[in-house]
Amino acid sequence: MEVSWYLAVSAVLFGIGIYGLLTRRNMIRMLLSAEIIFNAALLAFLSLASLDAGYGPVGGAIVVIAISLSAAEVGVIVSIAVMMFRMRKALDVYELRKFRG
Amino acid sequence: MNQFDPLAVVFILSSLMSVIAAALIVWHRSIVYSAFFLSLLGVGNAILFTMLGFPIIALFHLAVYVGAAVTFILFSVVMLREAPVVEPPTKALALIAAAVLALMLIKVFSDFSAVPSFMLNYRDRTMLLVTKYWCALIVAAIALVTTLIEAITLARREV
Repeated sequence: MEVSWYLAVSAVLFGIGIYGLLTRRNMIRMLLSAEIIFNAALLAFLSLASLDAGYGPVGGAIVVIAISLSAAEVGVIVSIAVMMFRMRKALDVYELRKFRG
Repeated sequence: MNQFDPLAVVFILSSLMSVIAAALIVWHRSIVYSAFFLSLLGVGNAILFTMLGFPIIALFHLAVYVGAAVTFILFSVVMLREAPVVEPPTKALALIAAAVLALMLIKVFSDFSAVPSFMLNYRDRTMLLVTKYWCALIVAAIALVTTLIEAITLARREV
């Protein structure tokens, strides 16, 4: 299969993620949409890295680090969401304004 | 004469799985099911990574992303009751924006017509991580440890 097909799948995933991010106010749903965009970016990155044997190991190393950092980012956002739910009984991102110090 | 290509079938099935799972994440009513479909998206993507020549990255994606991050979301979401939220009335505009973005990306990406002929060597990648990207590797490890600490804090915190 040509790389352009993988990139097309990545573009479709990106579009779905952008739609979800723009139309939701629930924090967890926005996080899930952002994760779709992250998966699309990973797919595009590895597709382009696979074009040349010189880019492959570098692309793989960067993707490993990106996946680790994404796992940490998920932990941070879910922690904020759980704290917000305990304090406000809501997951609306507009409620986050009230957390300003 | 078209020959049957099993790799093409695997590609079509895994990409369909990824796209349908992504659509269900956004449009499914239950947030718990949405989190579950994120794990299916991760599995579909891991199959695509393997087909691109990155089987070790695919295993890492399954272990760290699907196995840890998505499971963390899923179990955390179970603790939360989904409160009704007034969604912004911009669905048509968002749909147009997302479609235009996706079509633009497809147009840009259509120029790449090469076939991937690459297989990532585990030894090469490990050497590269240890010698050139060791600092980033340490940062990633610390970030993963913070996730663990956050999970423990969430489990113990009483407000």
